[in-house]
Amino acid sequence: MKRREFIKLSAAGCAALGAMELQGRGLFRPAVASGATAGATSQGLPGSLGAKEISSVCEMCFWRCPIIGKVKDGKLVKIEGNPKSPSNGVKVCARGNSGVQLVYDPDRVKYPMKRVGARGEGKWAKISWDEALDEIVHNMQNVKKKYGPNALAYFDHGASAEFMRDIFKATGTENYTNEPAFFQCVGPVAIAYLNTAGYLVSGTRQYIDMGNAKAILLVASHIGENIHVSHVQEYMKGLESGAKLVVVDPRFSAPANKADIYLPIRPGTDTALLLSWINYVIQNNLYDKEFVKNHCEGFDKLKESVKPYTFQWAAKICDLKPEDMKKAIDLLAKTRPHVAIHPGRHATWYGRGDVGRHQALSILTALFGAVGVPGGIYFPTPVKKPKAANMGIEVKESEPPVSLKTTYPYASMLGTPTAEIIKATITGKPYPIKLWGINGVNILQTIPNPYDTMDAIKKLDFIFCSEMLPGETAIWSDIILPDTPYLERYDAIYTYEGLTPYMTVRQPVVPPLFEAKSPYWVSHQLAKKFNLSCFPYEKEQDYLNIQLKPMNLTLDKLNAQGGLITFPAKPYRDSKDLKLPTDSGKYELYVEDFAKNKLDPMPKFIATPAAPVGYVRLVYGRMPMHTFSRTMNNLWLHNECPENELWLNDEVASKIGVKDGDTVVIENHAGKQSYPVKVKVTPGIRPDAVYLPHGFGSTSPLLTKAYKKGASDEFLITNYEADPFMGASSHRTDFVRLIKDGKTLNIPEIKPLPPDIPRFEMKKTA
Amino acid sequence: MNQYAMVIDLNRCVGCHACALACRAEWQVPVPYHRNWVDRLGPDKTPNGLSYTFWPGLCNHCDHPVCVPVCPVDKVEREFKNPKTGEVKKMMIAATYKDPFTGATLIEKDRCIGCGNCVAACPYGARYLNDKLDEPKADKCTFCVERIAHGEIPACVKTCIVNARIFGDLSDKKSEVYKLVHEKGAKRLSSKEVNIGPNIYYLGKKKDIYLLFEKCAPHKRTWENVKVMNEPSKRDTLLAALKKLPKFI
Repeated sequence: MKRREFIKLSAAGCAALGAMELQGRGLFRPAVASGATAGATSQGLPGSLGAKEISSVCEMCFWRCPIIGKVKDGKLVKIEGNPKSPSNGVKVCARGNSGVQLVYDPDRVKYPMKRVGARGEGKWAKISWDEALDEIVHNMQNVKKKYGPNALAYFDHGASAEFMRDIFKATGTENYTNEPAFFQCVGPVAIAYLNTAGYLVSGTRQYIDMGNAKAILLVASHIGENIHVSHVQEYMKGLESGAKLVVVDPRFSAPANKADIYLPIRPGTDTALLLSWINYVIQNNLYDKEFVKNHCEGFDKLKESVKPYTFQWAAKICDLKPEDMKKAIDLLAKTRPHVAIHPGRHATWYGRGDVGRHQALSILTALFGAVGVPGGIYFPTPVKKPKAANMGIEVKESEPPVSLKTTYPYASMLGTPTAEIIKATITGKPYPIKLWGINGVNILQTIPNPYDTMDAIKKLDFIFCSEMLPGETAIWSDIILPDTPYLERYDAIYTYEGLTPYMTVRQPVVPPLFEAKSPYWVSHQLAKKFNLSCFPYEKEQDYLNIQLKPMNLTLDKLNAQGGLITFPAKPYRDSKDLKLPTDSGKYELYVEDFAKNKLDPMPKFIATPAAPVGYVRLVYGRMPMHTFSRTMNNLWLHNECPENELWLNDEVASKIGVKDGDTVVIENHAGKQSYPVKVKVTPGIRPDAVYLPHGFGSTSPLLTKAYKKGASDEFLITNYEADPFMGASSHRTDFVRLIKDGKTLNIPEIKPLPPDIPRFEMKKTA
Repeated sequence: MNQYAMVIDLNRCVGCHACALACRAEWQVPVPYHRNWVDRLGPDKTPNGLSYTFWPGLCNHCDHPVCVPVCPVDKVEREFKNPKTGEVKKMMIAATYKDPFTGATLIEKDRCIGCGNCVAACPYGARYLNDKLDEPKADKCTFCVERIAHGEIPACVKTCIVNARIFGDLSDKKSEVYKLVHEKGAKRLSSKEVNIGPNIYYLGKKKDIYLLFEKCAPHKRTWENVKVMNEPSKRDTLLAALKKLPKFI
């Protein structure tokens, strides 16, 4: 299939289900909320009682829970969940609670700034908004004139970034949407499910009905360490109702502690386990014959292709006991179809084989008939979002002789692979890229090999960013625009298509501080300067009221009813009504389109290279009190967790003489070293992996709390492989050893490697 | 006597720290102090298998609060009212005291002299001396009695995303906390050495309760090292009084 056909197909499939919008904004914009409740104004009440309450939408992470901001004497004192919300209700997580300190962070970017020192040196002068925007317009026009539209590239994430995406789109560049969230995160799982189930089971949201499941399978999903309130609530509802939990993870994670069966798998071998399970389920007739007969395509091909994957073979590869593997799959099979095979979210692990791993999870789901039934994957309920005129732009992309989007067959869904942009910027091939705009994402702590990214930035004519906090990306920018935290602005209508659909609006809880301006205002100004027809409204309220009108609502009316309205959900389907949004209308166990693109139509086990002798695989994950690398400077969250710890297996630690609480430096296979970090010695991680919570070790001295606190996993990821489907960058293909008191410590190999798994070959250093 | 109590269910708790932060926001608790905390425990070996769990901690509002007798502030008479029956009772109290009708251990901030005795006495580390104020004062969890008085629930309970915190009156046999304590075996975090009747109870798998007790049960009789003068130091009393005077230019 060609890129454009794929876009059409996906768009048709997904639009039918309301799961995503491919045009402009969509995949990563989930639901959410707004509305204000006229709060009591009683004075002198204790704590946050009696505060004025304004409904809005959280953006401490992308899950975007409906919230209320509580304001006393003009100051935001507390954030709670919006009681009208049918998902989180009055509850918010640690980060949601700490949004207060995003607003009042003294390190905030306060004014538009222009670089005065060398690029990356971090010296700026305060300038006016007009000058800052003129600089941006001038440079965008100049670069376009000199090198063509594709010399402009835009990296974006989250609500801050969505308006400006259309300004870039209007320049005619093909590089206007390059979500690190896709190419560093959900790319493989999104592609796997879009091509098997036909819709986006896992993108921003995971449409998995854990709350009504009788068994749940998590493959390296560490729910609880990774907090999205309604998702965690559904998981807990399932467990409370007696769902059995199977967790597969090289590390004893928070959910592993709650598991009925925990499988401490060798890192990099999950697909081997999944394929042996699929084979076992087929061979032992544990699958849902009715579902397979009526709703699946390609069963015979699948049956044949998984035959070689026996428990005996997989046990050796995965370093698990065959009896434990059997016990786990028997437990899951027994509860079908009410079994939640979690699709996973962050999926860019090893490059080759990532799509296959999630395709295997998808296949297992179908074999159990766990589709559109309580406890299985479910269908999102579309919530119609009214539109206002000219709130975006339709333009023809220029078609360069060689497009960066066509390097990989499934890349174009969300733009240009970030790794391709960085390569093109460094080499000038296949065409030069000379200007970057960055919005809502700290690319140096997000995209593998930040050293390459810094090299690329040095080659640019111009780079600007819009930021709330001066992280690494701001340090490297020529112009920084002071963005408003989500609590200081209107932006869009948010909808939630999950089990409790609703519609709500983000609105300011407090006015912007300093000279911060809302993302809409910035795009409105840029549109005027570029003479574009988009974003014509003076104020956000104007387009919001237009959008609300077809629903017989205004902002005021919506606020009068708590800022949020709900809709009935339609997540399940009777077998006779079930038609999947694929070409065939059936669940595709064999993906014809993959085959046409010379990719594996069914998952295969592809061994990812293991650590070279003396090294160990670096894995990473989340902590519940932080979001990516965005919250480490938040006063309250920093206080809960100022730095990360490196998890090291206890047996390994005793062999190399490292004790719990020791400080070490982590060195990767390419000689890159981390800031000093404390070691957590634990039996809760395999000896062939070390684990580092993500996002710490900021290299920006302007983040006064986060600077040099802990170690950055991203700055140790220098080897990455491209996923052959969409060019996403792998994150678990790097290997490290430790340095303690200046002495290099090689990591002994406690678990011998089976011959089927090759070793990573170190580059010979000169 | 009524006794407010809280049961924290470690089977539900995912260790997200929302409780600690909702409390901080509600009561403007300054960093680095806390009224409410989450300590992450493990993964470690226990006789019942590997455990990775949490200690969500707060003031235990103990049956025998060792922080109360160490308060050197002059006692005054106060009238207390039973929130349920309206019954009234008079009692002589220092600046920190145990409420006779709710069992909450509280601080009368106006009279606290900031000597830190109660902070040093608590074996759970549940109190802190707020030195970010003009005059330092002891501070700690109040079970949000101020919010309860206005028909609200404790801030930590309200925000807990998985309803792992169950709050109620332990003297009420119909309450959920009563059932969890008397029928489900929720446990107090105590030891042989320190057994002062804490009213925060923990439910969980054997391995998690084992690890919680191994890592977090108090063993030091901290209050025994606190020197209490029978009378408050004249100097402290005088200083406290002086600080209350309006400031002159």
